[in-house]
Amino acid sequence: MDLALTPEQEMLKSAVRGFIQQEYPKNVLLEMAESGDAVPSEPWQKLVETGWMGILIPQEFGGEGGSFTDAGVMFEELGRGPVPGPHISSSVLSAFAIMAGGSDVQKREWLPAIARGERLLVPAVTEADYSWHPEDVHAVARSNGSGVQVDGVKVYVFDATFATHLLCAVRSENGNDVGLVMVPADSPGVSVRPLEGFGWNLAEVRLENVSVDPSNVLGGSIAGGWSALIQGIGNTIPILCAYQVGACQAVYEMSVEYSRTRVQFGTPIGRFQRVQDHIINLVNQLDAARWTTYETLWKMDAGREATDSIHLAKAVGSTAYHEACNFAHEVHAGVGSMTEYGLTLHTAASRTLYHYLGEPRVHKRLLADTLGL
Amino acid sequence: MDFEPRYTQEQEEFRQEVREWLKDNVSPDISHPADSAKSGPEQYDLRRDLGRRLGSKGWLWATAPEEYGGGGLSLDHAVVLEEEVDSYGLTIPPYYDSGGRLGGASIMVWGSEEQKQEFLPKIFRGEVRTWQLLTEPEAGSDVASVKTRAERNGDEYVINGQKVFVGSDLGCDYMWTLTCTDNEAPRHQNLGWFMIPADLPGITVQPMDLLIAGGESGAGSGVKNTVYFDNVRVPAFNLVGGENEGWKVATTHLELEHGSGGRIGRNWMVDNLFDYCRKTNRRGEPLTKDPDVRDRLIDIYMEAEVARLFNLRNYWMRHSKTNLTYEGPQASYFRKMSGLRMSTAILDILGPSALTHDETWGAGNGHMESHQRSAIVAIHPGGTADIQKVIMARRIGIGREVRERAGALA
Repeated sequence: MDLALTPEQEMLKSAVRGFIQQEYPKNVLLEMAESGDAVPSEPWQKLVETGWMGILIPQEFGGEGGSFTDAGVMFEELGRGPVPGPHISSSVLSAFAIMAGGSDVQKREWLPAIARGERLLVPAVTEADYSWHPEDVHAVARSNGSGVQVDGVKVYVFDATFATHLLCAVRSENGNDVGLVMVPADSPGVSVRPLEGFGWNLAEVRLENVSVDPSNVLGGSIAGGWSALIQGIGNTIPILCAYQVGACQAVYEMSVEYSRTRVQFGTPIGRFQRVQDHIINLVNQLDAARWTTYETLWKMDAGREATDSIHLAKAVGSTAYHEACNFAHEVHAGVGSMTEYGLTLHTAASRTLYHYLGEPRVHKRLLADTLGL
Repeated sequence: MDFEPRYTQEQEEFRQEVREWLKDNVSPDISHPADSAKSGPEQYDLRRDLGRRLGSKGWLWATAPEEYGGGGLSLDHAVVLEEEVDSYGLTIPPYYDSGGRLGGASIMVWGSEEQKQEFLPKIFRGEVRTWQLLTEPEAGSDVASVKTRAERNGDEYVINGQKVFVGSDLGCDYMWTLTCTDNEAPRHQNLGWFMIPADLPGITVQPMDLLIAGGESGAGSGVKNTVYFDNVRVPAFNLVGGENEGWKVATTHLELEHGSGGRIGRNWMVDNLFDYCRKTNRRGEPLTKDPDVRDRLIDIYMEAEVARLFNLRNYWMRHSKTNLTYEGPQASYFRKMSGLRMSTAILDILGPSALTHDETWGAGNGHMESHQRSAIVAIHPGGTADIQKVIMARRIGIGREVRERAGALA
């Protein structure tokens, strides 16, 4: 038993932390949130150049071939920002979906390009009947002479505004299968419209008479694509959870610092047990997320059956981030609601990651199924 | 990272050895009544006997140094032992021994060499059972305000006072006791710890009438007592850590009691509850098929998993000597509150069958009913849930001007 990171992981952690502090200071993150221009941008370009986007992609496909725990350590640091961009959506989820369901040719074409950040392949799954079930996928891929024609409306698509390509969940012409098609975002008939409000980089994606080359159908056939996506989601959740852990950690540190320095009634507010309650609730959420996440990462690396842990980690981790932000707002009161303070970057992210890849409610139900209840 | 003990070939052989040994040495007569108050002297004798046998192998306090009667074994050996004993539904030690666990650890840190030689081998070999005595009628959460007086008289101290919520049924051999060694000295500079032989004249033990005798030790205690000291003469040798130095000793004791020792293993109550819900029908279907019940069960499962991981983390931190801050009281707080929430969920799912241990109509052989009581009682031992939060805040560095450090753990 050893719950410490390896010396190499500690080095990676501090390298990523230093990089984020340098390239993604609060003012940059606030500007990105305001403009929506996180990608392309100078910090993003530098992030891609580090090679970290290929951390989970095997070396034979141009990545670093790191372990899940290595990647967890790295993404935990990105979560502290929270650093925006299609790092999880493209370089983790889409990469895993291709590894699970792509042909050899597709792997050789797509994975190195994703690792290098040249292609930002963002999954577009959910639709008007929002869910992560294949029954609710109505977008269609039809044969169209020599090509494939894709039609449909994808909604609440996370990171779509950053995409060079969209990994679209589509139904086969006969309606029987749901699979994945890689659609260049600049194809005629594709339009991406940001959804304004409290969401974090959510968009609507319209696909109207979009023609794509048949070589862009994952695995060469619609059948089998959905299971590749599900495998990808299973592998991505622990990484997403690590990102949430870093985010919770940042929110916690921010709240502790504020409660030590904010003076009311002539004393730092952290001396008040009412305020301490919020901090304690927050750190309990943080640590619940941390240890469910890292046990899952360890199971993945050790080749253990991890399905129960994956659902547990997502249900605990997304709840934790959401609750952590709520407790932080109770500590910060008015100051926390001021955009320039920076807490609301996390609050907005916590809401979107709450539902991304399935709400806690969904994963609790899947956990019950997995445990044989 | 590695969330499981790493077993070498040698340790796997050790597991086989432990398994074989337990097969021969755990009496088939050892039983597990839902309420430990129903566990009589025969059960206690069987458990003490097992404790002595474990102790003579160095397996009772496996990681304690051999020179003091411990096993001198590695953390992973200790984990093997705990896992194998856990498979019998037992803990190490297999009986209530709060003073051995906490007093032993405190003496390891603060005792003189002579005191270590005197007290530790008896504890580590399972020859004695020890209670801890802290709480008094006027000193609960504010434990530093104890009034039980220890006054020097020649080579002895004379002890007078009253302790409550003490120990278990069936007595003990030693009383690990916090006293006031100076009525005039400032707070925290007026305390002293004694290892008191339980058979000294002037000691009276009187059982308390409680909802249930809960404890955090893992082994049911049966009952709790009031203990009266009436001019009890204790050799000065038995004062551990020095006169008026008791608070520093208490920091070690309390650190462990507040959950920093950690724990491995899972919550069997969750398994029992799942099992009960699979086998119990409502409207023609197992309870586990009712969506509301499933939701409740998963909430419980998730909290139990988080509690398991907090305990595992603390176990590792303690044994790898990683610097602890708020983690001990966090685990304790979480365990207490999730236990209470679990009891509510059980009542919600089971209804009135959770409120009786009637042989015909009580659920789960009375374990569900005893959980309804023990979840409430568990809020206070080892520091109330609120006290755990107070300590967490100090350790996080917001409760006081100077951030509090955790107590030394050897």
